[in-house]
Amino acid sequence: MIPGRLDVTWIALIGLALATMLVPSLVARPLLGNALLLAFAALKGHRIVLDFLDLRAAPALWRGFVSAWLVIVLLLAWLASAAVALI
Amino acid sequence: MSAADCEQRETGWGILEDLPGDPMIWVLIFSELAAFGLFLGAFIVARAIHPAAFAAGQATLDAHLAGINTVVLVTSGWAAARGTAAARAGRRQAARGWLFGAMALGAFFIAVKLFEYAGEIAQGNGLETSPFFTLYFLLTGFHLLHVGLGIVILAVVSRNAEASGVETGAAFWHMVDLLWVVMFPIIYLVQS
Repeated sequence: MIPGRLDVTWIALIGLALATMLVPSLVARPLLGNALLLAFAALKGHRIVLDFLDLRAAPALWRGFVSAWLVIVLLLAWLASAAVALI
Repeated sequence: MSAADCEQRETGWGILEDLPGDPMIWVLIFSELAAFGLFLGAFIVARAIHPAAFAAGQATLDAHLAGINTVVLVTSGWAAARGTAAARAGRRQAARGWLFGAMALGAFFIAVKLFEYAGEIAQGNGLETSPFFTLYFLLTGFHLLHVGLGIVILAVVSRNAEASGVETGAAFWHMVDLLWVVMFPIIYLVQS
C-alpha cells in the first residue's frame, strides 16, 4: 500500500464518479449509456479492490473471487437492461 | 502430517492468513458480497420484469445527491487507506487523524442519505409503494446500516491504531465503499 498510489487511485475514482454523473446527459442511447455507466463502475471497483482493499499482492484466488463478483453483478445488470431494450 | 498441515493447524485460517487484517473480517466480507450480490440480482431481475414501474420509480430519485455521496464515500475510503498506510508505518497519531476523517465523511454520507430518504418519503414513496421502492429502500437501507457499523468498527480500531486492527477495520470500510460504487449506477442511473 503506497501513499502515492493511493492518491492516484483516489483522483481516478473522483474522475470516474464525475464522468458517471455526466453519462445520462451526454449519451442518449440506453444500450451505450448503460454500458458506459457499468464499465465506469467496474473500473472504480477494480481500483478499490486492488489499492484500497489491498488485494494487489493477495493470493490470486481472493483477488479473482472479488473481481469475479464485481464483473458478474455489473454484467448481469447490463445484459438485463439490454434484453429489455431489445425485446 | 506435513509441515504445511502443522502450520495451518496452528493458525487455523489457512489461505485466509494471506489477506490484510483479521481473517474473520474476510469471512464477513465474502458473506456480505454474496448477500448483496443476490440482493442486487433480485433488483436487476425485477427491473427486467417491471421495466415501466422501475423507470417511474427511478425518475423520482435524486441522482445528484447519490453522486455526491459517491464522491464522499470514495474519499472516505481513500482516508481509511491512508490511515492503514500510516498505521503500518507505526505513525499511530497520523493513522487516527486519517481514520477520523474517514468516519466524519461516513457520517456525512449517512446525513445526505437520510435527507434523500426524507425527500422521497415526502413525495409519498415508501416500502410498499411499488416493487422498485421495496427493493430500493431495503437495498440502500441495508447498505446504510453497514456504513453505520463501519463507522463503529473504525472508531474501535482507531483507539490503539495498531496496524492489524486498522487493516481489519479498513477492509470492512472498503467493502462498504465497493458495494456503493456498484449499487449507485444500477439503482440510480441504468435505464431499463
